[in-house]
Amino acid sequence: MSTQPLLTLKDISKKFQIKGSKNSIRAVDGVSLSINPGETLGIVGESGSGKSTLGRLALRLIEPTTGEIEFDGKKISALGSTELRHARREMQMIFQDPFASLDPRMNVESIIREPLDIHNIGTKSERSELVRKTITQVGMTEDALTRFPHEFSGGQRQRISIARAIITRPKLIVADEPVSALDASIQSQILNLLLELRRELNLTYVFISHDLSVIEHIADKVAVMYLGKIVEFASVEEIFSNPQHPYTKALISAVPQINPEHRTDRVVLTGDIPSPSSQPSGCHFHPRCPIAQQQCTDVEPVLRNINSVTHQVSCHLATGGDLR
Amino acid sequence: MKIYILRRLIQSFFILIGVTFITFLLLYILPADPARQIAGRSATPEAVANIRAQLGLDQPLFVQYWHYLINLFQGDFGRSYLQKTDVAELIQSRLTPTLILMFSAIFIELLFGLAAGIYSATKRGKTGDKSIMVLSFIGVSSPQFIAAILVLYIFAVKLHWFPIGGYGTFAHLVLPALTLGILGSGWYSRVMRSSMIDILRQDYIRTARAKGARENRVIFVHAFRNAVLPIVAMIGIDIGIFMSGIVVVESVFGWPGIGQLAWQAIQRVDIPIIMGVTLVSAIAIVIGNLVADLLAPFVDPRIKNS
Amino acid sequence: MSTLKRLIKRKIALFSFIVILLIVSAAIFAPLIAPYDPSKQFTEGLTLQGAPLPPSSQFPIGTDLLGRDLLSRLIYGARTSLFIGLLANGFAVVLGTFIGIVAGFLRGRTGSIIMRFTDLMMAFPALLLAITLAAIFSPSLFIVALVIAMVNWVQIARVIYTQTISISEKEFIEAARSLGATNSRILRKHILPHLAPIVMVWATLGISTTVLLEATLSFLGIGVRPPTPSWGNIIFENQTYFSSAPWLVFIPGFAIILLALAFNFLGDALRDELDPTQRGRR
Repeated sequence: MSTQPLLTLKDISKKFQIKGSKNSIRAVDGVSLSINPGETLGIVGESGSGKSTLGRLALRLIEPTTGEIEFDGKKISALGSTELRHARREMQMIFQDPFASLDPRMNVESIIREPLDIHNIGTKSERSELVRKTITQVGMTEDALTRFPHEFSGGQRQRISIARAIITRPKLIVADEPVSALDASIQSQILNLLLELRRELNLTYVFISHDLSVIEHIADKVAVMYLGKIVEFASVEEIFSNPQHPYTKALISAVPQINPEHRTDRVVLTGDIPSPSSQPSGCHFHPRCPIAQQQCTDVEPVLRNINSVTHQVSCHLATGGDLR
Repeated sequence: MKIYILRRLIQSFFILIGVTFITFLLLYILPADPARQIAGRSATPEAVANIRAQLGLDQPLFVQYWHYLINLFQGDFGRSYLQKTDVAELIQSRLTPTLILMFSAIFIELLFGLAAGIYSATKRGKTGDKSIMVLSFIGVSSPQFIAAILVLYIFAVKLHWFPIGGYGTFAHLVLPALTLGILGSGWYSRVMRSSMIDILRQDYIRTARAKGARENRVIFVHAFRNAVLPIVAMIGIDIGIFMSGIVVVESVFGWPGIGQLAWQAIQRVDIPIIMGVTLVSAIAIVIGNLVADLLAPFVDPRIKNS
Repeated sequence: MSTLKRLIKRKIALFSFIVILLIVSAAIFAPLIAPYDPSKQFTEGLTLQGAPLPPSSQFPIGTDLLGRDLLSRLIYGARTSLFIGLLANGFAVVLGTFIGIVAGFLRGRTGSIIMRFTDLMMAFPALLLAITLAAIFSPSLFIVALVIAMVNWVQIARVIYTQTISISEKEFIEAARSLGATNSRILRKHILPHLAPIVMVWATLGISTTVLLEATLSFLGIGVRPPTPSWGNIIFENQTYFSSAPWLVFIPGFAIILLALAFNFLGDALRDELDPTQRGRR
């Protein structure tokens, strides 16, 4: 493929200092990724895997400790604060909790119009025209504009945050668990809205979720994260049909399957995700891995290509075939 | 916990040093001249300059402050300019009356405040509760000097039950303690009321009631024990407030405590005494707050872990 | 609007509001309402022995120790007391809010240095500090107000500081940042509107504190200087007559308590309505 990636992360790390201690947590540890325009990259992992931090690093809402971010030909990681603010017009975020991410003292119109006000887009009448157009685009009616966030349900609030995110016609949207706070019936409505908007507005998504069934529904490519690192990266078909990392397998086996033919033996993980402040030696996954061997405790695996250049895994024991 | 206490003690130490420095600074830049005050109106400029040199007042601020600090660490609060006595001794001799007054007042506050608070909480929303809350607001909104004069007028001037001022017998203590106690009980009753209401909502109270415990037992055994904790913490804060507010009441009633000492010293610009009293009051405030903070985890268990 | 309606429904809040309104109008229209010049000494204003007169048809609430009309002094005194109360509280609220926001918004080293300083101020014996300052600077109205403000800003700063921090940590602030909002926009559009009700509550409650403090300083003779009447110094001047002419002390005393009480009640009702963290505690 000759297309230029829209977003490239090069060896991004983030350390958080622990208060009152000399230790630090590596929330994200040497991650490299790239996303082509129009694609949806799903990032999946348990809570504490660093996936939300990675999403925020991609938009430089958090400063990376090391590494580079390149977006649409611009080096985001090198921008000054004013340039960065201007660049934000092109890259937006949708947050997990629609109850917390909307200012309760603003009405819906001011919330959706805020990006236009910030970036000084259009005249006053053009702005309100665009706000009205956008609210209908996310499946709501104009009479919502004069109301306040607390008057709406979770799903409707998430539609409002989507409206706010798309109004500047961004190229990239990072969605951090946008449906996990919602009821299952509402989840698919919001996912379908996101898919529809991607087609209409030619958007690129980074979609963060702990829920593989949601990822399966929306993503083209999937990155599986464990303790701040990507352990497997492949297209969504590859991930589900031929998962290579035992962690990925465990996650997939935990997804409820309706079709009995697709049911596999459940791989049950024992123990919790270790604290990122005290990482295990060797492969970070070995204490919970069902097939761990001696080398896994000693040597840390690196992300390597397997089968094709588009399927990467960091596991000593991955062979490319079906290990089951 | 030990580390926390140690850290707080160190912090408190620096806060106290800061208090002495700011007081010193304020008194240093003040327009009044203590040397002239001591020398008297008719003194020659030479005599004034002489006194100034004697007291070290002609030295730069930091030198003076440094000397003060060094002496302070040796337990020397300096000497009063006018009374020529040791400030530490002066304060010591005034401490007992102030402590007597303070603890009597706290006793009255607890007596009235807790009773009114519990009554209010159990009669929530009824006339009794509302009247007590209005009364407590009046207590909170009344300056001490007006209450002091009112109490004096009724009990000393009109009824002749108690002496009009002075120190020595129990009768002398009643009016100043009553003034401070009644006003302060306004705060206590409000805190007690809301604490009690919170507790009475809890499940274990409902359980106790469901098990058929008598209402009095529910209130005084089950609820009171837990509801009283914020009050205990409040006493800590209260001690601090007392030290600074006692000036007015002591001067109205002629009570020979620290407040009166401070007031006299302020009028005569007797700086070492002002410094000493400020420091002693600040110590009381810091200790009071420390006690209140240390009790906080018991009051609200959620704080314990953070 | 709905907050206003709910406040009106609370009888005590409404009553307090009316009391405040009455006192404020008396202060503003003092020259029109007061029967006499407050500093005029009437020769018929004292008894033959030189004692103040009790209430009569000529002097509705009697005269003071110099034979001046007490009602006129009281009405003009409302001016001084309110003026100082509002001015001092205004200083304190502006200073406290500013410092609280700066410390809470900047966090980091600047924030913690500022907050350590307020710790220090909290350890100061407040009244003692005020008395010392007032006694030392020969007090003008302005200085009295300033001294009172110096004592009162700390608590407001601490409240605003914790509130600013808790608002800054809300996700909608991060959302605004992700949209590209500047710090100043976040402060203006997202933080200040949330602080406004809290500032309003403290501004109202604070007036009661400053009015009381002014009265106390004036009572000690180190606040507002006679002959300018203030409610505190009317009591200060006349205290020697408190057993023979108690109205000289108790009428201004009652006025002080009434004003402080009204602001306390109003502030408390405002807090119930505006401050959601306190809601439901009554």
